[in-house]
Amino acid sequence: MASKESDAIVLRTYPLRESDLLVTLFTRLEGKVRGVAKAAKRSKRRFGGALEPLTLVHAHYDVREGHELNRLDSCEVLESPLAQEVSYPRAVALGHVAEVLDELLPDHEANDAAFRLSLAVIAALRGPNIWMPITYFDLWMARLSGYLPDLSTCMVCDGPLNGSRAFFHALADGLMCPADKRLASSEISVASRGLAELMFRAPVDAFTGMPWASGQGADLRKFLIQTLQRHIEKKFVTAGMLEKIAG
Amino acid sequence: MSRFAEPLARLIEELKKLPGIGSKSAQRLAFHILRSSNEDADALAIAVRDVKASLVLCSECNNITDVDPCVYCSSATRNLRQVCVVEEPTNIASIEKTKHFNGVYHVLHGTLSPLHGIGPEQLRISNLMRRVESNQVDEVIIATNPTVEGEATATYLSGRLRRPGLRVTRIAMGIPVGSDIEYADEITMLKAMQGRHDL
Repeated sequence: MASKESDAIVLRTYPLRESDLLVTLFTRLEGKVRGVAKAAKRSKRRFGGALEPLTLVHAHYDVREGHELNRLDSCEVLESPLAQEVSYPRAVALGHVAEVLDELLPDHEANDAAFRLSLAVIAALRGPNIWMPITYFDLWMARLSGYLPDLSTCMVCDGPLNGSRAFFHALADGLMCPADKRLASSEISVASRGLAELMFRAPVDAFTGMPWASGQGADLRKFLIQTLQRHIEKKFVTAGMLEKIAG
Repeated sequence: MSRFAEPLARLIEELKKLPGIGSKSAQRLAFHILRSSNEDADALAIAVRDVKASLVLCSECNNITDVDPCVYCSSATRNLRQVCVVEEPTNIASIEKTKHFNGVYHVLHGTLSPLHGIGPEQLRISNLMRRVESNQVDEVIIATNPTVEGEATATYLSGRLRRPGLRVTRIAMGIPVGSDIEYADEITMLKAMQGRHDL
């Protein structure tokens, strides 16, 4: 049995047996791991509020050879989402980040870029605007996972889309020009594609002070969520809730 | 082929569905029932059947009850103008144990939980809103758990309930009685400091 320690983001917890919790952690050291937090439901003394989703912790865990589940020994809270007010939109946004990470990240594969992205986005979600950090997160997760298609050319004719109208479809693996668009396609605006270009070139902090109109980037978010869902062959539970908040 | 006779195997399978009961515990319980007297086994079966047949949700507060309205909502001695909102019916027992709350309750039967797809539409709040809108309430105490989901629910409810003449309060959070500050985590300590009061 080897003891390990790493900074980690708590993604989810599930009840296990009478008083244990099964915890999914995104560790900096070895990516997504699962561990059992013994008696975490019965006694809060050892874990306290450390197992709340999207809490940044320093986790100590024991890896047992031949066992898929680790034994979570302790977690020190480094940053908690409970330090600021948790509004319903913020809770949905945090849930979305946790769900996307849980669904996209493979087990036991360190991904420092995704870890740094997650920390920056969770910090940006302390502010009142959830839509900018969520757009930034979905865009970069699609890119880091290798699922983001080229946003500048038509997937059918390879013609350039720069400055012209572009369309996407839930079953198509890229953007299409007006001539090649499929039936029931949605349009993604030039402004949203420009926003994506800006987001590729600057950290999330650069956008925190930026005025964000209601509905800004909604088409880009829809395109990104459809892209990710198509690749994982599953719908995100939180995507529907984000849509409802957006009205 | 099952290791046990079919009725016994079926009982074990049913018991295994209960929370915290694994194969071994289910076998132990099933054999205990098998060895018990016919009267005891019948009493257990009747109790299980009755709990499903005779219990309903209180139309005022959503508490689980055998009479509608429940004992709290129909009590002549309780203060109907003070409502404590809890997540689950089991939370009521914890508050009643204090013997310091004489108001009534409202049970949400859950919290806002984005990861489980539970939004405001799934929360049982319509009868609470009705009570508040008809000016029957002076104070709503939100006693959801101090978790991300509980906090999101509390913030959402306070927004929905806010109106002149209604006090909306949140239960305090912080260091458990009898524990040691040395072992408190940062977030608990932060909440304790934020919730300090004058002496």
